[in-house]
Amino acid sequence: MTLFDRLFRDAPLATRNEITPKLGFALTMLLALVWLIPFLWMGVATLRPASDGINLMAELMPSLKPTLDNIRDAWEIGDFPRYTLNTTIICTGILLVQFFTITLAGFAFARLNFAGKTLIFYLFLMQLMLVPVLLIVPNLTLVAQLGLYDTLTGVMMPFFASAFGTFLMRQAFEAIPTELEDAALIDGAGLFQRIRHIYVPLSMPSFSAFAIISVTSHWNDFLWPLMVINSPDKRPLTVGLSVFTATAEGTQAWGTIAAGTLMVIAPLLITFLIFQKRFISSFVTSGIK
Amino acid sequence: MLFTRRLMLGLAMAGSMASALAFPAIAGEGPTEIDLFFPVPVDGKLARDMGTLIKEFNETHPNVKATAVYTGSYDDTLIKTRAAIKAGKPPAAVIMSANFLLDMQIENELTNLDSLIKADGTTKEQFLGQFFPALQGNAVIDRSVYGVPFHNSTPLLYINADKAKEAGLDPNKPPQTWAELTDWAKKLTKREGDKVTQWGIAIPCAYDYCGWMMETLTMSNGGRYYNEEFGGEVYYDTPSMLGALTWWNDLIAKHKVHPPGATPGPAVSTSFISGNAAMIMLSTGSLTYVRDNAKFAYKVAFIPRNVRNAVPIGGASLIIPAGLEAEKQKAAWTLIKWMTSPEKSGWWSRATGYFAPNMAAYKTPDMVEFLNKNPDAKTAVEQLDVAKPWFATYKTVPVRKNLEDEVMLVLNGKKQPKEALVAAQKAADETLKPYNAETSLKLP
Repeated sequence: MTLFDRLFRDAPLATRNEITPKLGFALTMLLALVWLIPFLWMGVATLRPASDGINLMAELMPSLKPTLDNIRDAWEIGDFPRYTLNTTIICTGILLVQFFTITLAGFAFARLNFAGKTLIFYLFLMQLMLVPVLLIVPNLTLVAQLGLYDTLTGVMMPFFASAFGTFLMRQAFEAIPTELEDAALIDGAGLFQRIRHIYVPLSMPSFSAFAIISVTSHWNDFLWPLMVINSPDKRPLTVGLSVFTATAEGTQAWGTIAAGTLMVIAPLLITFLIFQKRFISSFVTSGIK
Repeated sequence: MLFTRRLMLGLAMAGSMASALAFPAIAGEGPTEIDLFFPVPVDGKLARDMGTLIKEFNETHPNVKATAVYTGSYDDTLIKTRAAIKAGKPPAAVIMSANFLLDMQIENELTNLDSLIKADGTTKEQFLGQFFPALQGNAVIDRSVYGVPFHNSTPLLYINADKAKEAGLDPNKPPQTWAELTDWAKKLTKREGDKVTQWGIAIPCAYDYCGWMMETLTMSNGGRYYNEEFGGEVYYDTPSMLGALTWWNDLIAKHKVHPPGATPGPAVSTSFISGNAAMIMLSTGSLTYVRDNAKFAYKVAFIPRNVRNAVPIGGASLIIPAGLEAEKQKAAWTLIKWMTSPEKSGWWSRATGYFAPNMAAYKTPDMVEFLNKNPDAKTAVEQLDVAKPWFATYKTVPVRKNLEDEVMLVLNGKKQPKEALVAAQKAADETLKPYNAETSLKLP
């Protein structure tokens, strides 16, 4: 059985002998390969000894004498366990508060009736159009006034509420039949009980889709943490990594950069590999593709 | 940054309680705590070198506790410093790109250092006299001192001496004029059919670097690309600038001896190290990297002239932001004086390849020994005789980008030089308009 045949085993019976799915699979594999090349290069560059020099840097073929020197160098330059911990605190902190705020705000916009609801909702959505850079100075001023300059809480705070998340949860809650809520109402469930036992469990795919978007975007954020954080031991991964990738007049040590990048993306990459199926299905069922 | 004010205010309460533990301690007794913002214009090894430097300072100065805060690129450092000043949390000192000082002074973001100099019992002339005269232009504004030169650079011509010999050229007599340089570049370009296997010359063009290289070429073409006395005028649409950009473009489009497109600095140095480009124009800040990585004999030379020998300085100065308490200001001043002393600036110069702005640094035994071993480090210092201040206007970064965006279009073959410079001038005039309306056009 060839590789292709094995791949097609899962295809629906009716389409199994058609040419289009085969073309589709071939294209997907080609795309996957193109996507894979930077990762492969990063892996190879990480293990390549510095003695290979810059000449072989662009080559994809692994060196015959792999070395862990680059990883050691990157590890010594940056306090990676600390950076990873900080980034994790920031991402989970933001996400936990966001779950709380977007659930309540989404519910209010989906099910409650109050004056000016539509107007407020549109105002909410308008925030999606603001460029984050525009808000750096006002946000930083506020963060400093609250005594949160140079704290992780200060990094998290502007993201505690999310217009996108509110929009997403509003859509999810509106899709849930009101009959379910009515039944709970008859059984004497209060407002928060209805949210907790009916709306939240039925919207899990939307929650996980939002979690992925939220975590990846804050994991990668550079400029805002750079603005808020001064202490070296509060740096998140992105700021820590850029210590050895940003250059103006000098040049770059590619091996160390590759090793550092690998360390930064590894946690996200591993999480993705473990929860792959769940991630994909959450996007499919929540309607984001 | 998606938030609503109402939610934020509510959450602020919870947030500030949660952060009470993380709140930085307010200095009462003990040493004065200060932050030094520093960009990393070179690779990560230097972030560690900076750590070493500050550690030594703290050990020798028990009254001050300085923390080195890494702040990204030169441009990011400006953004972070400005945001911190506006938020009421100015750092005590910043290693700031030398050409941002005028812009910051216009916005009242800098501390005038004159009184601190006077309090030390020295005069301005004595204080500035320590530094190479070429660097003073970017440190002094309206006859007041606003910055202290820390690490500086000039552009250099790097030549692969092995390849030059191979092509029958004498690397000990590097090209001195644009005509000679073009000739060298032609001889050093190797082709296989239509494909170029070795480029004669490469000049970097990425944000920040591109503007600096344009300035270099214009100056060696006899030009003056901005008004050194007044922050509201740039001279983009001028014959000297047009000649410079046309020559650069000719190397690509006409002679085909320069790789096409706008190439970033790291790619240029990489192609020099790999033998892909036989000559490059790059900052002296890259010298240590080239020295450590080149597997061939190389030479560094002055930037060739078309009309005259002239280059802009580059690099960074130490500044004290406005709005700082007197105690922190004093501590920052101690740190700045220590960092720019002959020994320390010499040490930093040897670690980075930048030259030491303090002239006495070149008389220290360590430096004399170093220069004997590495005579290539002398070239940039010698070139200082013809160096001039670095481009500085109101809103330096946007005005610089007005030119860079157009130069990139030319190098990518999408625009002609004249057309691009007219557009750049127009855009820059527009950017400078508010300042001119407040100053030169505000008539009594």
